[in-house]
Parts: sequence; structure tokens; C-alpha cells
Amino acid sequence: MTTLTSNKPDKVRDKVHRVLLGKKQILVTEDEPLLVQLEREGIHVEYQCREGYCSSCSIKLLWGHVEYPFEPLAWVQSGYMLACCAIVKSDIEIAFFSD
Amino acid sequence: MSYSTFNRKQFDSMKEPMFFGENVNVARYDQQKHPIFEKLIEKQLSFFWRPEEVDLSSDRKDFQKLEEHEQHIFLSNLKYQTLLDSVQGRSPNVALLPIVSLPELETWIETWSFSETIHSRSYTHIIRNIVNDPTKIFDDITVNKEITKRADSVSVYYDRLIEMVSLYNTLGLGTHHVPEHGDIEISMRSLKKALYLTVASVNVLEAIRFYVSFACSFAFAERTLMEGNAKIIKLIARDEALHLTGTQHMLNLMASGKDDPEMAIIAQECKEEMRNIFIEAAEQEKDWASYLFKDGSMIGLNAQILGQYVEYITNVRMQAVGLDTAFGTKHNPIPWINAWLVSDNVQVAPQEAEISSYLVGQIDNDLSESDFDDFDL
Ligand code: FES
Ligand SMILES: [Fe+2]
Ligand SMILES: [Fe+2]
Repeated sequence: MTTLTSNKPDKVRDKVHRVLLGKKQILVTEDEPLLVQLEREGIHVEYQCREGYCSSCSIKLLWGHVEYPFEPLAWVQSGYMLACCAIVKSDIEIAFFSD
Repeated sequence: MSYSTFNRKQFDSMKEPMFFGENVNVARYDQQKHPIFEKLIEKQLSFFWRPEEVDLSSDRKDFQKLEEHEQHIFLSNLKYQTLLDSVQGRSPNVALLPIVSLPELETWIETWSFSETIHSRSYTHIIRNIVNDPTKIFDDITVNKEITKRADSVSVYYDRLIEMVSLYNTLGLGTHHVPEHGDIEISMRSLKKALYLTVASVNVLEAIRFYVSFACSFAFAERTLMEGNAKIIKLIARDEALHLTGTQHMLNLMASGKDDPEMAIIAQECKEEMRNIFIEAAEQEKDWASYLFKDGSMIGLNAQILGQYVEYITNVRMQAVGLDTAFGTKHNPIPWINAWLVSDNVQVAPQEAEISSYLVGQIDNDLSESDFDDFDL
């Protein structure tokens, strides 16, 4: 479900995907990682490094597909994703660990 | 089996487990069984900083203006951090180097410990700057009951592992009688169990125990007080985030059984004890918060909020190593702290104009003659 791409995708830029979070639905693009896009929607996600090495932004990925433009240093538990550096590649459903 | 500083056996280091295999012989980094540790080394090296690069001159003035109970909060946190980094500056080396079996992990441990010595040096830098007699502060660390209580919990697993490994290295497997400690059973199983619990307790130390101090430091800085200190804490927090990722990798690799199948069984057996290590530490940190605020709170923080933050961060850390969360606190009660914890090279809070890496080599001209009055040269 989680794959690594060696280099930045080129044209598939303005693709829009749905992110389901509880009863909320947010539209995101592939231009930026999920974290910033959630923040812009006013959704608080825990973070620290925003660079993939601290795992603070780890959230549940219930289904769907995300990719990391670079391999994060933090351990990614299976069924989880790092919001700070993951690019959403399909419609996905996420949850916070506390939900 | 005794430790050798240059193991003469021929073996394939790519097939060794992380710990309790062959002693490392050739320090080579062209190939790694677990490339993550090589990446952590590189990242840690890229983080290198020196405390003296951070200008603390206005902190001295700020400190004198703090209320007495705020000075107590500030100094107590510094003492506790000094204790934690004293332990971390040596213990990964002393406890883990004799049993590590992969060159990249061996060097990660050394690089990690070295960065802790920078943290310790930064406390001396801070303390020297705000008080005239640093000895008073340092001496209190070994006698202050609130601090020594914690010293026991942070060192007990390390100390037990060190004792067991030294028995193993001198006497081998078996049950050995140690005066005043009784009979100690040394088996591969008991050694690996002691190792697993040690790594868990280190994860707790770095991923939870520092965060009460971090929160207080940043709460001062939110009021534009002790900002030099906050810049140092930011750099320390960046290092600690990397260290906790290192121990999370060790724990998760062990639990997966991919590195050493026996470790997966041990991780399973230790689940409850590991859970208790997290919960006990969280309770101690909450007590610590009450001790800090015993004579009064500070703006933006009190013992209750800090306690909730401890619970929250403990949940985050437990989840990261595959444990069920332990506390009901579901939201970060002090979300503003993240803007302080974030690395400078990532832009997040535009209001945060001053970036600590810009301070490298800075000279502060904002000093008057009287600032040097009570410096002894
Ligand atoms: S914020 Fe550090 S890994 Fe995402
Ligand atoms: Fe440290
Ligand atoms: Fe550390």
C-alpha cells in the first residue's frame, strides 16, 4: 500500500483526491504532502520535524495509497503513514491514533 | 565469551544480528544490514552544532527578572536535563558497544552518545551564563530528592544490562553469585530480555522525559524570555527526535523478529513490562510537573496542563512502538509547542522570524558595562 518513488512525479500534478477523516471529507492534491493540506483545512495534526524523521505525525491510513518522494527515516508502522512527507495518490481514509 | 576490540574471526557482518552476535571487527560502511543506522549517522552529523554559537547575553538579564518560583522552574529543569544527558552521554556506549554486532549500528551508538555530550556541554554554557556559582547547581543534582528519584528509574535498566554483560564476558553463561546482588542468571534469553527492556527505557527517556522541560523552556520563550535557552533547547529537541527514531527502529526491528527471531518472542513476553515502563515514566513526569509548580505556575502552563501533555506525548510514543495507548488524553493541550519543536529548515510559523541557525557566530552588541559586573574573570 505504501511505495517509494525514487524521483518526483512530473505531470500528474493537479490530480485531486478525497481524504476521509471521520465524517469530514477534504480534497487534496499531489503537489504537497498531506500534513500542510490538512492544516490549511484547520485540522490539527501532531508534528515535530516535518521531515520524516521523528514519527510524531504518524496517523492511521485505513485504506488508499500514499507515496513518499524520499524514504522517511522514521519507522512507519504497518497501517500508518507519516503525514508530513506522504503524497496522497488515491482517495484515502485516515484516522488519528486517538480515534 | 570475552569482548575483543578487534575480532579476528572471519564472518559475514551482513548476516549478524544487531546485538549478541560477533564483536564488530572492521568498521566499514559501504554495506549495511540495516541501512537506517547509516542514514541516522549521516543525519546526526548534519545536525552538528556547538552551544557557544548561541548567544545567551539577554538570558542573563531575563533570568534576574524572573520571579523566584519561575527561577525554580527554570533551574530545576536544567538540573533534570543535566542528569538525563549525563546518563545518555555515556550509557549507550558502556551498555551497548560491548554487545553490538553491526558496524553501522556500532557507529550510530557512538554518534548518538557523542551528540548527548554536546547537550551536556550546553547546560554548562547556560548555567555559567545565568548564575555566578555553577557548582551550587551541579552539586544539587546528586542530592536533590526529586531528581535522584528519577535517576534510579533512568539508570536501572542500563545498570542491570551492564552488570549482566560483564558477568557474561568474564564468567560466561550460567548462574553467578555476586556479593550483595545474589545469584544472577546469565542466559542468552535473560541477556536479550535485559537488552530489550533497556532500549525501551531509553526510548522513554528520550521520547517522554525531556518533554516537560522542553515545554517549560518554550513557554518562557513565548513570553520572549530566556530565548537563547529556547534556541539551544530547539537544537537539543531536534537531536532527541532523531535519537528516539533510532530506538524505535531498534525496538521495532527486534519485535519483528527479522533481525533475530528470538527477539520477537522476547518482545512479546516483555510487552506488559514495557507498557509499564512507559506508564511509570509518565506518572513520574507528572509528579515532576507538580514539583516544578509547587510555588506557583507560569503563564501558559500549569501542572495540570503539563500533566495532560505528558499523557498525550506518551500515547504518541507508545503507538509508535506498537503498544496500545495508555491515557485518555486525545489532544495536545499545548499545540503551540510544535512550532517551537520544528526544525528551522522547514518553514512553518511565519511569525517565528528568528531562526537559530542564523545565530551561528553572532556577536551580541546589546550589552552594557554592568552586565559584566558579577562575572569573575
Ligand atoms: S513530523 Fe516528524 S516524521 Fe512527520
Ligand atoms: Fe540529549
Ligand atoms: Fe538523546
